[in-house]
Amino acid sequence: MDRRSAVNTSVTHHTTHRRSKSYGRTFDATSRFCYTPGQLTITRIPTSREAAKAHKITEKVDPEQVALLVKNEWKLSYVTPLYQFRYTLLNVYAKHLSAFLVAEKQQGTAVEVGLETGFKVTFSTVLGMVETKDDAETVFIQIHSKPVFASAGDTPRVVWSGWLTCINGDPEYLQSLPPEFVSLPLFCTSGTESLTFLVKLWFERTFDCSFGSLSLDPNDLQWLAALWTGCHSDNNIRSLKLAWTLPAQPPLDVSLTVNGQDAWDLWEKVRPGDRADDSVSIEEVKCFITGIESHFFRHFKIHLSAGVLKKVSTALGSVHLDGKIKITCSDYMITVMTLLTECAILKMPTI
Amino acid sequence: MKRTFQCIIYSVCIGKYIPSMGDVARTLLQRTLRKIPTVKLEETLKKWAHLSRRQQQSVNYTQSKWILHENIVSLCEENGLTTRHVSELEMIYCMENPNLGTWRACHLTDADEDATSVELLSFKEQFKSHLAELIRNVSIKIKKHDNGSVWIRIAWGDNFSKPNHFKPTYVVHDLQTPYVFISNLKSKHKPLLYQGLVLATKHGSIKDAHLSGRSLHAVRDLLMGHYQQSFPTNHLRPLQERNPPITHPNIEKEHKEHAEKRLQVAYEAFGEGDIPKLETATYTLETRFRGGGGMDTLSDGEKPFRTVVQFASTSLLESLRHCVSSGIAEAPVSPLLSSITQKGRNYFVITDKADKGHNATTQNSRAKV
Repeated sequence: MDRRSAVNTSVTHHTTHRRSKSYGRTFDATSRFCYTPGQLTITRIPTSREAAKAHKITEKVDPEQVALLVKNEWKLSYVTPLYQFRYTLLNVYAKHLSAFLVAEKQQGTAVEVGLETGFKVTFSTVLGMVETKDDAETVFIQIHSKPVFASAGDTPRVVWSGWLTCINGDPEYLQSLPPEFVSLPLFCTSGTESLTFLVKLWFERTFDCSFGSLSLDPNDLQWLAALWTGCHSDNNIRSLKLAWTLPAQPPLDVSLTVNGQDAWDLWEKVRPGDRADDSVSIEEVKCFITGIESHFFRHFKIHLSAGVLKKVSTALGSVHLDGKIKITCSDYMITVMTLLTECAILKMPTI
Repeated sequence: MKRTFQCIIYSVCIGKYIPSMGDVARTLLQRTLRKIPTVKLEETLKKWAHLSRRQQQSVNYTQSKWILHENIVSLCEENGLTTRHVSELEMIYCMENPNLGTWRACHLTDADEDATSVELLSFKEQFKSHLAELIRNVSIKIKKHDNGSVWIRIAWGDNFSKPNHFKPTYVVHDLQTPYVFISNLKSKHKPLLYQGLVLATKHGSIKDAHLSGRSLHAVRDLLMGHYQQSFPTNHLRPLQERNPPITHPNIEKEHKEHAEKRLQVAYEAFGEGDIPKLETATYTLETRFRGGGGMDTLSDGEKPFRTVVQFASTSLLESLRHCVSSGIAEAPVSPLLSSITQKGRNYFVITDKADKGHNATTQNSRAKV
C-alpha cells in the first residue's frame, strides 16, 4: 500500500503491468536506478546535467503561448499518467470541465462566492515544446469567468490557468507505459486553490489519475541557482538571490543577494577553463553554493547549513521550495522544465 | 452627499444655522475615527476635550461602529470644528499608539554651546518660523508628550496646493538628546525638515543614524540603551545565580557548561529579557572573496565580491540571540552582528580594511553618508 500518497491510487491491472515492466531492472547494477528500501519512490540522483543553453524557444513555439507561460508564478504538482487522454477530444474536455465546474459551484462545494456563475474553459496544445519523441505535447488550460450580467463588449476574464507538460522525460520510464496512457507528469497551476482543486478532481475522475503537490528539495534549488548563474554571459542575471530560513525562535530569514557578475566569476572559478562537454556536475554545484555559504560564515559566523534554502531567484526566473516556479526568460525554459519533469517523475508514487 | 443632506434636514428642522465642517476636516475625522479602536475612543475623545462633557456623555459606545462614528461626526459639526482641531485628535491618538509604519532615527551633531539649554517654547517658535520660511503652505503642530518628548506633526503643501493632512510626517525628539525619530517623510521634504531641525535645536548638522524599525519604542530603546544589558563580569556564574535552573537529580546534561557559556555570550551581545523589537538588518558587503568550498581566493583577488545580506524576523534581536545560544551562530559573536546593539544601527556597509598586508579577515564598518 502506498502509505505516502495522500490520494488513493486506484488499483487497476495497468499499475501492476507498469511496475513489472519498468522496475524489473531495479537491481541491475549497471542501471543508474537505485532502490532504497523504506522509500517508496525510486530515487536516482543525477550527478550531472547539461549546462543551460539558450534555446530560442520562440522559434519553435507560438510566441503568444510562450508569453502566457512566462507571465505567472506557477504552483507545481505531479500527476500520474492519464488513461485514454486524446488530443483530438480537447474541445469535448473543455465543455465537460466547464459543466463540471458550474455543477460543483451550485452544489456549494466551491469555496469562493462570486458573481460569476458561468465558466468558459479552453484546452489547447502548445506545440513545439517537446524535446524527444517520447514526450507528449504540452496541454494548456484556461478558465475564463463569464459574469452573469455580461454586456456584449466584455472580454471574459482569466481566473485560472494551468498546463500539463513533459519535457525530456526519462525515456525508459515513458517507453514502459502501456499505449493507452499519456504521461504529462508536471502540472503547473495559477489561480485560486478552490478552482485548482476542482480541476484536479475532474481530471482524477475522467482519466483515472492522481495528483500530488510537488515540493522541491534544496538540491534542486541549488541546481537551478548554478544553472542560471552559468547563463550570465549570455543573458544578464542581474543578481543571484538566495534565501534561507534558520530555525531560531522566532524564525530568522536570511537573504543573500550576490551581484550577477561576481556570482558568475565565482562560478567560472569553480568550473575549470574550457570544457569539451557542456555538462555541469553536482560537485561543482555544491562547491559553488558552499563557497557562498562560507563567505557568509566568514562575516557573520552563522552556519547556514542549520537552516533550509527556501528560495532562489535571478532575473531569469525564481523557484521556491514549496513548489513554485516563475520563468521570466523563455530562453531557458527547456532546461528548467527538464529538471522539473524529472522531479515530478521521481516524486510520483509507483507502488 | 448623504451627510450634507442629513445636515440640511437637521438645520431645517430646528431652524438653526450650523456651520458645516469642510470636506477635508470631515474626511480626516472619519479616517481618524476608523483608525482608533472603540475601546480607546472614549479616553482619546476625553483627552482631546473638543466635545463638551454633555456631548461626550451622549455618545453610545455600544452602537455599531458606523453609527457611532456618524454620531461623533455630527457632534463635531455642531461645534464647528475644523481641520486644525481634527488633526489634533489624530495626533493625540498617534502619540499613544505610534503605529505609523517605519520610524527612522537621525542623529544631530556639532552642537552649539547653548544647545543644551534649548527648551520647549524656543524650540517651537524657532522650528515653526524656520520651516515657514522654507516652504509655503505647511501646517505644523507641536505637542509635548507626558514622557517629556516633543512630537511634531507636519502636513506638507507647496506653492500651489494646501497642506495634505492625509499623509502627515511625524517627528519625535527628546530635547536634551541628539536623537530625532521620523516617520512618513518624503525625500523631497527631507532637506527642509532637516534644516528646520538643525536650526531649532542649535546644532551644526543632522545625519541618518542608519537605524529603522516599525516600533518607535524599540528604535528609541535600542539607541538609548534602555534595555537590560548584560556585561562581562568577574563573577563566574552571574546568570545561573539569577535564574537557577530546575534540575532533576537523575538527569545530567553533558553540555551544561557549554550551553551556559553560549547563553552568557548571547546575553552580552544582545541583552537579557525583553529586548527592543527590530524587524530587519541590512549589510552591504564589499569585501573580497577569500575562499571556501575548496576554492582559493578568486583569481582577480582585488575585486570585491559584492553581496547584500538581509536578516528579517518578527523580532530580529531575539532571533539572533537564540542563534548564538543554540549554536547556530558561533561564539564569539561576529562584530557585525553585535554592532547592531553596540552601535544602535541596523544598516551597515562593510569593506575590507585598507591594509593589504593584513592576512586576517578583519573588516571595518564604514558609515554610508
